[in-house]
Amino acid sequence: MNLKMKQLLTAFAVSCAVMTAPVSVQAADKPAASDIEEGKKLAFSRSKGNCLACHMAGDGAQPGNIGPALVAMKLRYPDKQKLYNKVWGTSDSMKVPNSMMPEFGLHGILTDDEIRKVVDYIYTL
Amino acid sequence: MKKTLLGSLALGVTMIATSPAAFAVDPEQDRQNLVDFFKSKSPKIAFEDYKDGGYIYSADKRAQWEAVEEFPPYLDSVDAGEELYQQDQAVYEKCFGDDPANVRPHYPYFDEKTQQVVTLEWAINICREDAGLKPFKYKKGDIAKLSAYFAYQSRGQKVDVKIDSDGAREAYNKGRDMFIKPVGQLGLSCAKCHAYNAGRYARADLLSPTLGHTTHFPVFRAKWQELGTLHRRYGGCHQNMRANPFKPQSEEYRNLEFFQAYISNGLEINGPGYRQ
Ligand code: HEC
Ligand code: HEC
Repeated sequence: MNLKMKQLLTAFAVSCAVMTAPVSVQAADKPAASDIEEGKKLAFSRSKGNCLACHMAGDGAQPGNIGPALVAMKLRYPDKQKLYNKVWGTSDSMKVPNSMMPEFGLHGILTDDEIRKVVDYIYTL
Repeated sequence: MKKTLLGSLALGVTMIATSPAAFAVDPEQDRQNLVDFFKSKSPKIAFEDYKDGGYIYSADKRAQWEAVEEFPPYLDSVDAGEELYQQDQAVYEKCFGDDPANVRPHYPYFDEKTQQVVTLEWAINICREDAGLKPFKYKKGDIAKLSAYFAYQSRGQKVDVKIDSDGAREAYNKGRDMFIKPVGQLGLSCAKCHAYNAGRYARADLLSPTLGHTTHFPVFRAKWQELGTLHRRYGGCHQNMRANPFKPQSEEYRNLEFFQAYISNGLEINGPGYRQ
């Protein structure tokens, strides 16, 4: 897909985002192992989440250190929805000025379902 | 201290976004703020060292880099640049004078007649075209070699970009604006990587400070295995940001270079450089 097209899609995703609230993450209390595995792949992939660019996460090789290490997520986010909202970038999620943290849902970088899987994965860390 | 500096940088974004002319910053004040910002970020790093890019942040990477610089892989290209110079020496002397060591330090500058920033690479091509020669391509190859030759001749001299007109101030502010504004799908700005997070790692890449970014170009990158120009790098970073790159030597990138070079005033010219 060329860049122009991607940007059109992004613009589209953003305009949709304004209208529809992000889906709930709570669908499954105990996520399937396959979802966690897929979430890990999405989180590590350079063209998808690329979380390792900025965060230490699990056994990911050569992590960056721009953002805080993704550890003890359950402890820090007892409410999993809040974690989902942070990764998605909802308007009510925690905002840090000049943060490098991309708003994955808001900017259409990952789909809602992909974000759910990523969150399922990091929730195990 | 750090907070307020960050604040002043950030504040600039919103102000410029609403009204470019009315709130444009004073370049010299802005440059000093930036130097202070990096000083409070890393009190132990001396100002002069910012010519060395990201290597100021890691003794390990610095040692590896210095080992490579002992037998620099770009020297053949500097020689090739000298040959290119000699091939059309009369043409270049007409444009740049007869001392090749006295060329690099005069660029970029703001040309009052055309109200444009003139970079060295742009001037080289204008010079060639005026003499009926074919212009070089802008990202790599002959343009980078010739530019590397000029830089090499001027090593040790200092960056000294002048701003003394409204037009030049506006060009600076446009470049600064591009540096600070988040763009692209990831919502990143140059400042996020090369000011706020300079010294941190993005995966295995150590993020360099914007202060000093222009001193050592063109750069021989291990990844490229050849020399590339500053504007080639700009395009690469814009691509990584998932934003639309501008054309090399577009007005946008010339203004960006003008901003980056001005804030590097007082640093040594040490191009061409080797980078990982
Ligand atoms: C380009 C850099 C970058 C990338 C890529 C990135 N992050 Fe972040 N992230 C940050 C930064 C910087 C912060 C801290 C500031 C903030 O909270 O916004 C952060 C904060 C977070 C937080 C809050 C941490 C806390 O301690 O509460 C979570 C959770 C998070 N990121 C998850 C992710 C996930 C999951 C991905 C990949 C899908 C990701 N990040 C990709 C830079 C990044
Ligand atoms: C997501 C992070 C990121 C963003 C945003 C970014 N860059 Fe970079 N940039 C890098 C990395 C990584 C490198 C290679 C390591 C280094 O030297 O910093 C680099 C290298 C450079 C270099 C070469 C430095 C040297 O010493 O050789 C320049 C110049 C540069 N970037 C300018 C820019 C400009 C201008 C922008 C905005 C248009 C920008 N960058 C945006 C990550 C980024």
